[in-house]
Amino acid sequence: MKRDLHILCCSVTTVTSAVRWLCCIVAAVFFLVSCVDEDEFPNTPQGNFEALWKIIDEHYCFLDYKKHEYGLDWQDIYDKYKVRVNGNMDNRQLFEVLANMLSELRDGHVNMNAAHDYARNWSWYEDYPANFSDSLQRIYLGRDYKIAGGIDYRVLDDNIGYLRYESFQQGAGDGNLNEVLNEFITCNGLIIDIRSNGGGNLTNAEQLASRFAQEKTLVGYIQHKTGKGHSDFSSMEPRYLEPSNQLRWHKPVCVLTNRHVYSAANEFTLYMRALPNVKLVGDHTGGGSGMPFSSSLPNGWSIRFSAVPMYDTQRQPTEFGIEPDYRVDLTDEDFRRGKDTIIEFARQLLTK
Amino acid sequence: MKIFSHHNIILCCLLAFSTATAAQTDITNSWQIGAGSTRVLDTYLSQEKFSGSGLTILNSSERQRDNRKWTMLTEHELNIATVGDRTDKREEMEGSYTLFIGALRQWRYGPLRLQAGAMAAADVGFIYNTSNSNNPAQGRLSLQFMPTGTAAYTLRLWHRPLQLRYEVQLPLAGVMFSPNYGQSYYEIFSLGNYDHNIVPTTFVSAPNLRQQLSAEYPVSRHLTLRLGYLGHYQQAQVNNLKSHVYHHRLMIGVVRRFSIVPRP
Repeated sequence: MKRDLHILCCSVTTVTSAVRWLCCIVAAVFFLVSCVDEDEFPNTPQGNFEALWKIIDEHYCFLDYKKHEYGLDWQDIYDKYKVRVNGNMDNRQLFEVLANMLSELRDGHVNMNAAHDYARNWSWYEDYPANFSDSLQRIYLGRDYKIAGGIDYRVLDDNIGYLRYESFQQGAGDGNLNEVLNEFITCNGLIIDIRSNGGGNLTNAEQLASRFAQEKTLVGYIQHKTGKGHSDFSSMEPRYLEPSNQLRWHKPVCVLTNRHVYSAANEFTLYMRALPNVKLVGDHTGGGSGMPFSSSLPNGWSIRFSAVPMYDTQRQPTEFGIEPDYRVDLTDEDFRRGKDTIIEFARQLLTK
Repeated sequence: MKIFSHHNIILCCLLAFSTATAAQTDITNSWQIGAGSTRVLDTYLSQEKFSGSGLTILNSSERQRDNRKWTMLTEHELNIATVGDRTDKREEMEGSYTLFIGALRQWRYGPLRLQAGAMAAADVGFIYNTSNSNNPAQGRLSLQFMPTGTAAYTLRLWHRPLQLRYEVQLPLAGVMFSPNYGQSYYEIFSLGNYDHNIVPTTFVSAPNLRQQLSAEYPVSRHLTLRLGYLGHYQQAQVNNLKSHVYHHRLMIGVVRRFSIVPRP
């Protein structure tokens, strides 16, 4: 009995010692494992204001550029709008203040989405003439035009191909593009009308542009933020347009632009401008050269902002658009005659 | 006179080999399923924290050769979770698969068995934010070296053994994939622009912890039930991005023990 008790005592001592040893290890582990965490702002008008200001302050990619261009100072913006926010505001009042603060960025890629409204800055095309008319487009396309993916197309009377790409949200695959270019194979020139194309998928723009590149062509540069500071950027990496290994177009091209050409369509314009047989005709493009990222506020409103800046071949941002080779506006006189001044100019250019 | 002929040497080798292979291998195999809470933060996707519930499937296999102090431990862990922000207006999905392989040395003190060793963990996973546009998801890919310890204590309950077991893993170092702070996946995968996307990690930059506490009880001759808690806390602070994924799971499963006895 005594022996059993002794064995039990020894066993308990051993176990206690082992458990103590284990506890020490676990305690050391918990000490070493610190939390990776982020402070959350409260879901109050002030908390949402602070969260939004901080997201833009740490992630928006054009703060330095816009400070240089028109004197934007994001710290001044904080001081200006902080006093307009108080705890008694309702959602609509808060939305209005935050939307006004975001509009200081003058960026079509900056949006805030709530259930009752969508904050945006569309001044890049709303403040300018449209230089595009649905009614005129209907006249030029007629009723027997063809549709391939996101492309409407037909051959005009003077043997000029007319290709209308309304939005790069819609794709046009290699099969579609082969068919379109086959249709135009006997044409003397090609008009690509991307007026009022507000962008979409960048790879759709690249896929179309690659049909006009005959060799690997430098079209611009890209970089990204590497930290929270306004000047924390990676080095600029070149962007090249690779020629398609499918059917390609070798004859002259006119790309028609207006102020509503934005984002991926602006990039398409940038690609085409780098090619030797391409001319840009129409109005200055709208810009939008920052690839947008998304985030959200404590109250659930989603935020979109420019995060990845892209540049032209001169390493200059095209955030505020691209100047065409030939600046042409739609005239009232032509409109009354059922003529699209910009298309007519391009036709003359291509038939010269 | 030659003491060792070629034939004798071959015979000795065969004898040694047959002794090694003749050893019995004890295998403990378990399948568990668990449910519980998940908390997610990934500042590449949002500054907000997301929380919700998820499921885990865990397969664990421990092999021990007779009379050896080392055991081989292999675990497969599959997680899936849906989480929402504090307003329930935004949603994320989180999923991962982790393979753990390691070797542990054991010490026995009566009913207590302690094990210590190291494991390698290969993890592949994702966090998908259903609202975001050009930063919709965060891919996770990592390889970690992790010291591991277990403690198992067996006591008798209603004339049957009840085993209480605790297992803990703390990754010391490894490598993981991460986009840079504001880098888009378009740059990484479409343009092929590399910028510190394979990041060496330590327990300082990726302080992770995984622990399991379980109780095993044989309910019949062939069936042993295992009930327990699995906590897997994965964190990283690389490229100025912060992320954490915390899993808390209540696990239930079955354990099968068997031996492979070679033919004499």
